[in-house]
Amino acid sequence: MSKLETPLSAPHDSAVTHVQGTSEFVDDRAFLYGELHVGLVLSPHARARILAIDTTRALGIPGVETVQTHQDLSHHYWGTIFTEQPFLAIDEVKYAGEVVAVVGAVTRKALIQGIRAVQVDYELLPPILSVDEAIAAKSYIGGERFIKRGEAEATYANAPFKLEGRQVIRGAEHFYLENQAAIVYPKEDGLMEVHSSTQHPTETQHLVAEALGLQQNEVICIAKRLGGGFGGKETQAAPFAVYAALVARATGKPARIVLSKDEDMIITGKRNPFQIDYKVGFDGLGQIIALDAKLYGDGGAYADLSPAIMERAMLHSDNAYFIPNMRVVGQVCRTNYHSHTAFRGFGGPKGVALIEGIIEDIAIALNLDALDVRKLNCYRGPDRDVTHYGQKLENNVLPQLFDELEQSCDYRARREALNVWNQNPRNHPRGLSLTAVKFGISFTTRFLNQGNALINVHRDGTIQVSTGAVEMGQGVNSRIARLVADEFGLPLRSVKVMATSTEKNANTSPTAASTGTDLNGAAACVAAGKIKRRLAALMQKLTEIPLDKWASKTAGFGTMPEIEVGAEAESSDAFDIDAIVFESGLVYAKSHPDLRIPFSALVSEAYFNRISVSEYGHYKIADLGFNKLTGEGRAFLYFSQGVAASEVEVNQITGEVKVLRTDILMDLGRPINHALDVGQVAGAFIQGMGWVTTEALFYNAKGQLLSHAPSTYKIPSVHDIPRNFKIDLLENHGNHRNIKGTKAAGEPPLLLCFSVWNAIRDAIRYHGLRRHGRADVVAMPIPATAETILRALKPEAFAACEGL
Amino acid sequence: MKSTRNAAVVYINSKRHELRGEEAFMMLADYLRYSAGLTGTKIVCAEGDCGACSVLKASYFGGRPATFEPVNACIVMMAQLDGCHIVTVEGLKTDEGLSPVQDAMVRCHASQCGYCTPGFAIAITNCVARGKQSEQGIKNALTGNLCRCTGYSPLIEAAMMVDAEALPSIESRYLSAVKHEDLQGITAQALHLSSESHTFFAPTTIKDAVKLRKAHSGSRLLASGTDIGVMINKGKSTDAVFISLHLIEGLYAIRREGTRFHVGARVTLSEVHDACQDLIPEFAKLLNIFASPQIKNIGTLIGNVANGSPIGDTLPFLMVANATVHTVNSRGERTIPIESLYVGYRQLALQSDEIISSISFDVPKLNETLKLYKASQRKDLDIATVSCAFSVRQARGTITEARLAVGGVGATVIRLTEVEAFLLGKILSEDLIEASSQLLQQSIKPLSDVRGTNSYRRVLVDGLFRKYFSELGGQV
Repeated sequence: MSKLETPLSAPHDSAVTHVQGTSEFVDDRAFLYGELHVGLVLSPHARARILAIDTTRALGIPGVETVQTHQDLSHHYWGTIFTEQPFLAIDEVKYAGEVVAVVGAVTRKALIQGIRAVQVDYELLPPILSVDEAIAAKSYIGGERFIKRGEAEATYANAPFKLEGRQVIRGAEHFYLENQAAIVYPKEDGLMEVHSSTQHPTETQHLVAEALGLQQNEVICIAKRLGGGFGGKETQAAPFAVYAALVARATGKPARIVLSKDEDMIITGKRNPFQIDYKVGFDGLGQIIALDAKLYGDGGAYADLSPAIMERAMLHSDNAYFIPNMRVVGQVCRTNYHSHTAFRGFGGPKGVALIEGIIEDIAIALNLDALDVRKLNCYRGPDRDVTHYGQKLENNVLPQLFDELEQSCDYRARREALNVWNQNPRNHPRGLSLTAVKFGISFTTRFLNQGNALINVHRDGTIQVSTGAVEMGQGVNSRIARLVADEFGLPLRSVKVMATSTEKNANTSPTAASTGTDLNGAAACVAAGKIKRRLAALMQKLTEIPLDKWASKTAGFGTMPEIEVGAEAESSDAFDIDAIVFESGLVYAKSHPDLRIPFSALVSEAYFNRISVSEYGHYKIADLGFNKLTGEGRAFLYFSQGVAASEVEVNQITGEVKVLRTDILMDLGRPINHALDVGQVAGAFIQGMGWVTTEALFYNAKGQLLSHAPSTYKIPSVHDIPRNFKIDLLENHGNHRNIKGTKAAGEPPLLLCFSVWNAIRDAIRYHGLRRHGRADVVAMPIPATAETILRALKPEAFAACEGL
Repeated sequence: MKSTRNAAVVYINSKRHELRGEEAFMMLADYLRYSAGLTGTKIVCAEGDCGACSVLKASYFGGRPATFEPVNACIVMMAQLDGCHIVTVEGLKTDEGLSPVQDAMVRCHASQCGYCTPGFAIAITNCVARGKQSEQGIKNALTGNLCRCTGYSPLIEAAMMVDAEALPSIESRYLSAVKHEDLQGITAQALHLSSESHTFFAPTTIKDAVKLRKAHSGSRLLASGTDIGVMINKGKSTDAVFISLHLIEGLYAIRREGTRFHVGARVTLSEVHDACQDLIPEFAKLLNIFASPQIKNIGTLIGNVANGSPIGDTLPFLMVANATVHTVNSRGERTIPIESLYVGYRQLALQSDEIISSISFDVPKLNETLKLYKASQRKDLDIATVSCAFSVRQARGTITEARLAVGGVGATVIRLTEVEAFLLGKILSEDLIEASSQLLQQSIKPLSDVRGTNSYRRVLVDGLFRKYFSELGGQV
């Protein structure tokens, strides 16, 4: 084994160019001669029949080169799960912001004039603008899904204590900083080179080919890096590449589309809103004995990924807690909003919000501390460690996480202090909550759990790695570089991870579900391993030859017979790879410790002996077996787990929230890069915190989104982060299922945001306690905006106003 | 008008740029990215709300020493930057390599996706250039920059880590006597720019400005244009003629005379903040949560006044501070009390050729209790849901003066004159608060919108009003 030579917290591989502004994003590419600006004609209506599209006036504007409509497409529909969403509306628009036509123009000015000049006649149709309306109209996407264990209904009926309620969860905007963008260069012989800000280059490649009627080998999709994705560019980047490609084909000129934030927020889908009706039965100690939940997801106009999002919500409705009798039913609703889509956590946060909220309610109902209820219900072996879908938890650290954080954040003493603080009516109420996350890692769709990688070792001993992983800030390239560098015992600077391109890696999965490093890093290690075996076998043979007879010393001529590596490079039975050591940029055989040669020299020797130092690796996750029809089986390779304790203060006059302190303890296995993992934890948590507090999407009665820019949609600013913010990683070397014992970090920490949301609910509980002498279970939607909080604090004041 | 120029002059990273025609009407961020090849500056929101486009700007107007301050490049037209120096992210690197700020950002893992990073590099550079900062000071300086990846902590750490003393001065690197002289000569001359669709005038005297206003009815007056820039970017501007006040030296004055502050039309909100910090700390505190440093470094107080928004952050304060605006038109000058300025939703009682040249307002007296409140969905860089200014004087327990103004509850910011009259001469009591609260509710007509329902606004104003008076009672 080569030693780990690279520091544990090397900077992101683009850090140095990021801070100088020299990192290249799609729109930073220089304009080519004749390159056109591409813009979109959008439907202002949530639902309407298209009577006519007249492009004549637009085409008459100087500088407008083309207007493309559905008639210009070779293939009309796309959709990752159901192929049902038109690239360009055909006879009906189904959400405000749906794309009706595409304009290509020489200047931005002409483009804007052209867009305005496209005349679309509509006949308005009644839209469906809520989950309730969808249910009433039986407007669904796909059928009802269920996961069940035991007898939820009967156990609930006989439970000593019961609660029921409805949890409303609203959507959220990804707010990646780089808006959707693509440039398409038409090349010779009809080939299209697409540069796209996409998390899924393969799907983008395929959809461009389909839309244009090209073969897949006639389209290349390249994604150098993304200015943030968060799931919003998993499926929804591809149509924009298609629009640019349509213009490129029609005009034969390069075509660039870069959305404004307003357009992006209006057109693209959000985190799926959910409405969940639940019944929970429990005993006098707070132990849950039955949970019966019906989850309705608002999918928007088209399916997109919503059925899979629903599935993950259902798979996460247990979170960290063992629930012996459980029935979760899920139904995606079709409404007239943008197609909602993946967003960090996928459906996971919906399920986790539900159960974490329920536990807080059980504590209120029984007058217990919610942490005690959590610990009581927490998964633990040997009898309470199988999920409701039948997967046994391995290496479960949840009880340990609860115990360690309870101690390190001083939970009990702070609880006592809050009990005192909140008695004084002059004090703004404060609340505290310690919640958990258990997030399943793997795509729940089995075939996506594969990755491939290409490694080219160059003659100077440096390495280029290409995989299907897309770098969007999370540091997947840095982690893969580290894995490959370690494999060869090289310094980090010897390995570069190249732009993601379908020319090098085909049939890749999206960089999503937190699996970027797991899949692509493992594939890179497969490829690296193959090269390394060959090099090791060569090294072994070289030690048996006089130095001056080495091929490289004689330029390949007049030496010993050419060295061949065969069976020994294929299997460990034929040759023990550990006999050769790769470390510090040198290679040696343990049998000849004095003969150490630079890695580059060995590569050269391989070249002169006609031994390949390039390799392709393919990796798939074994042993996955979730049956979507029965709702049973091994859905995940492993779980990333964590806990967080948050304390908030709620302004009793305005409803505004201050997060005073958050302590996070995450189990991320053995991190490849500690600093990057901590960065993922911090960023995900703050993103989740924004969702559950200030990020409110506001749609008017016509179904139009009015909060479509940062002036009206408020993501956390620098002042909103917890005043005191501490992140620790648990030491856990027990995750043997994943590459190098690591665990995925991208999504799981987002789900710790419910510590903030429940702390707000705890503050409201305290407020009720001091005003009425008792605590009631108060429903609180997500997000808990200042207004919703103030409504919970002063229901009678609002009632008085609304009675006016 | 004396000799008139027809090119605006802007230095960018030391290079002199002359702007004519269409380029003069481009936003700085577009010009940098698409004309000057400086793509480090990013455009995300195009409305001055995210800071990804932050650059440093310095000028010599008003006889002030030139210092670089961050501004939003996305909402400022090149023409308006006439006479300015700009330093972009490309200009931060030193001959030795990364600047200490950039180096600290790398070491603290302060960038992930990299898209907001150039803007933060600019904002942090400016922040630490002002000396060692507290964590709060750093947060205030970074309020105008959004990051969606890092959760901000590493950015704060990076700013803390930089040794302010060791930082090379951007001023000494990019400003010089030669360039100063060049710009002084340039900016003494009026400017007239035109493109196919737009005209831009920058006169050197207020008289000429009034003449131009009269000659071009429907022209748009620019103090700093932070609102107009947004309108243009969003395709909502129909303006064809702009008249900029940036070359009129007299409009840069800010001074205190006795109990009054006088602020010229070109004085930025940052300058007002600094001037008020000791004398009207309550107003300075409000300005801390007004927009962002980038906006306050170009946005003017008069701009906020002339915009006339019912949620204009400074207006409730100005109303209780007895503000008066001084205007110039072709018939002369006049002074208008601010309450009389607003006649409807964003409608001002001004003649078509009338220009607000300055505003003056009271420094609060002793025994006067001034409180300013702003409630918003997010504390910083957000538009108010409601805003209030309450100022009451008491003598021996009796209310001798009450000035109360509220924004966000009607078409304009309003003075609560009925409530004020009701309070006058009365002794503060629970009953009085109750009765005046009810009167208050009858005086306001809030609407429901993207920021909240009308009930929320009513409950907010009620709560803030009661809080003010209960605290006032506590002090008695």
